[in-house]
Amino acid sequence: MIALMHVAKTFGARLILRDCTAEFNEGTVSLLTGENGAGKSTLLRIIAGLSQPSSGHISFAPEDPSIGFLGHQTFLYPALTALENLAFWQKAHGLPADESTLLGMLEHVNLARHAHERAGVFSRGMAQRLSLARVLLQRPDVLLLDEPGTGLDQASQAMLEEEILKARKRGATIVCVSHNLERARALADCVWRIRDRRLELEEAGS
Amino acid sequence: MMRLALAMALKDVRLTLFRSAGLVQALLLGLLLVFMFSLSQKAGERVSAQTAATIFWLASSFCQVLVFNAVYAYEETAGQRLGLLLAPAPTAAVWLGKAMAGFVLVFLSQLVFLPATAVFLAQEPSHCLAEGLAMLVLADTGLAALGSLLGALAQGQAARESLLSLLVFPLLVPLLLSAISVFAAVFGDAAPDGVASWLGFAGAFDAIFLGAGLLLFRFIYTGEE
Amino acid sequence: MRVSRFPWTPALLAAGAGLLAASQWLVFAYAPVEEVMGPIQKIFYIHLPLAWWGLVSFFVVFVCSIACLAKKDPAYDRTARAAAEIGVLFTTLCLATGMIWGRRAWGVWWTWDPRLSTALVMWFVYVAYLILESLGTSPERRRLVRSTVGIVAFLDVPLVFLSARMWRSIHPAVFASESGGLEPEMKLAAIFCTLAMGVFWLGLLLFRKTQLDQALHIDRLLFRLEERGEKQ
Repeated sequence: MIALMHVAKTFGARLILRDCTAEFNEGTVSLLTGENGAGKSTLLRIIAGLSQPSSGHISFAPEDPSIGFLGHQTFLYPALTALENLAFWQKAHGLPADESTLLGMLEHVNLARHAHERAGVFSRGMAQRLSLARVLLQRPDVLLLDEPGTGLDQASQAMLEEEILKARKRGATIVCVSHNLERARALADCVWRIRDRRLELEEAGS
Repeated sequence: MMRLALAMALKDVRLTLFRSAGLVQALLLGLLLVFMFSLSQKAGERVSAQTAATIFWLASSFCQVLVFNAVYAYEETAGQRLGLLLAPAPTAAVWLGKAMAGFVLVFLSQLVFLPATAVFLAQEPSHCLAEGLAMLVLADTGLAALGSLLGALAQGQAARESLLSLLVFPLLVPLLLSAISVFAAVFGDAAPDGVASWLGFAGAFDAIFLGAGLLLFRFIYTGEE
Repeated sequence: MRVSRFPWTPALLAAGAGLLAASQWLVFAYAPVEEVMGPIQKIFYIHLPLAWWGLVSFFVVFVCSIACLAKKDPAYDRTARAAAEIGVLFTTLCLATGMIWGRRAWGVWWTWDPRLSTALVMWFVYVAYLILESLGTSPERRRLVRSTVGIVAFLDVPLVFLSARMWRSIHPAVFASESGGLEPEMKLAAIFCTLAMGVFWLGLLLFRKTQLDQALHIDRLLFRLEERGEKQ
């Protein structure tokens, strides 16, 4: 479970978020919405620990979960091949990086034929799929998604949604920022909206 | 921590040596510097050992600035820095990995600069070789520790190489003084008993900035934009 | 937020200015003219306080930088910035007066003296520190970067001094050092000047800190106004 307690964030004199209190439970998908520039991505970064809240705090139970992050930034090195990219991120997370596992995962996201091509030549959709493979290999406790469907075709979208549901089933805490409300709402257990720099629960879990 | 650091170092060395022109640029700049300084010799005159040592170490420090700019730039093309910060290893592992990569890359460049100094500036690196080698390792360690700490300034598109060099060069003055003194001896200047104390001094410099890097890096390398 | 208004800042500045003016009497009327150098030696009475308080400024930057990282309080960063600005100003003046002195005493504008070179290297580092303000990043990140540099820069000071001294001891000393016992009147004048400058320095530091606080306060008020405008 992730609990936000009165989290606020300022950039210099600008107040971005104020008094955000929320709980995200294990085995649920929470959708985070709001207008452009409402502070959705900022909040997601704060949850990820990438950005410090100016006041308030965040707690995780159990502590120190592994966090997977899939956003429009792919974290891929353009000059490394698909396989090398996966191997590097596995090692960076202290996970095994044997080639058969990695190739299996590439097969799963339909990139097996491109395993030895550099990520720099990949199309947006291919890069996003490789990025998805990177996250799936980690099997994170907390999965943070920032517009994860960007650039994906219908088939890949479906695969992404299936993976999100699988992660939910194994008990991961999933927080997703998305504009594509119809699709995302269908997945979500609850919906949070940022309005006037505050976080409001719009739709509680069923 | 070591796992991430090693993976990082290997990846950066591979990217720089085999996948980009990163090191070529640094090498050319250093070589140009050595060559341009050879213009200061009058016909039939030799550059003093002290001057040659200075030029060699200046070339090395320019190379260091470019190398660290390059290795930190790798993490900015698609948000990789955020991925590294999410990894369970402490942030200092990134500093260590980059420092190791930078050490190797600067050292490799010096393997080119040294013969270039010998050829263009007519030097014979033939004295106090053991001390010279020790100083090379110590000074490169210092260059790597400080370069890796401040190279993190290149985070985001905001920082410029000029700012990095503005900060790094003055901070390096003590280390460069010691390296130049020992290399002047290597190039044949009479070396009194100074060499040993300069080696000790460089060791102290390394210790201080290795400690500073280990402790302070996590403040400078963050997810804040 | 609290805008720290130090009520005695103007008083400190006025007292510092008054003491500095008074110190001129000590310098020119009380302390004797130095035998070898003549009246040019009077520069010493302004040079020494500048050097001393310049160094203290950088030490304040160091301490406030550590405090800023440890306590995560941006107020320390503003103090550090104020101190760095004053430190650079004082060091610039110190270098200028030192060069005039050196020209007269040693016949050259510049020499590889440990103190001189340390001052110059520090000047370079802290000017770069001030340039960090122009980094196009968020204030949060600038603060972290500045604090880190503020710590690293001060760690370098003893190293620069030590290396410059070793460098000189290995090379023949070209110029005799400027030491030699000061006459008691001179010593008294020098101490008084240093203390007077200290009062002025403190006033300046608090004044600049208050300015920086107020600038942030105004930014926040403007932002709130903007926000209200958006809603209507």
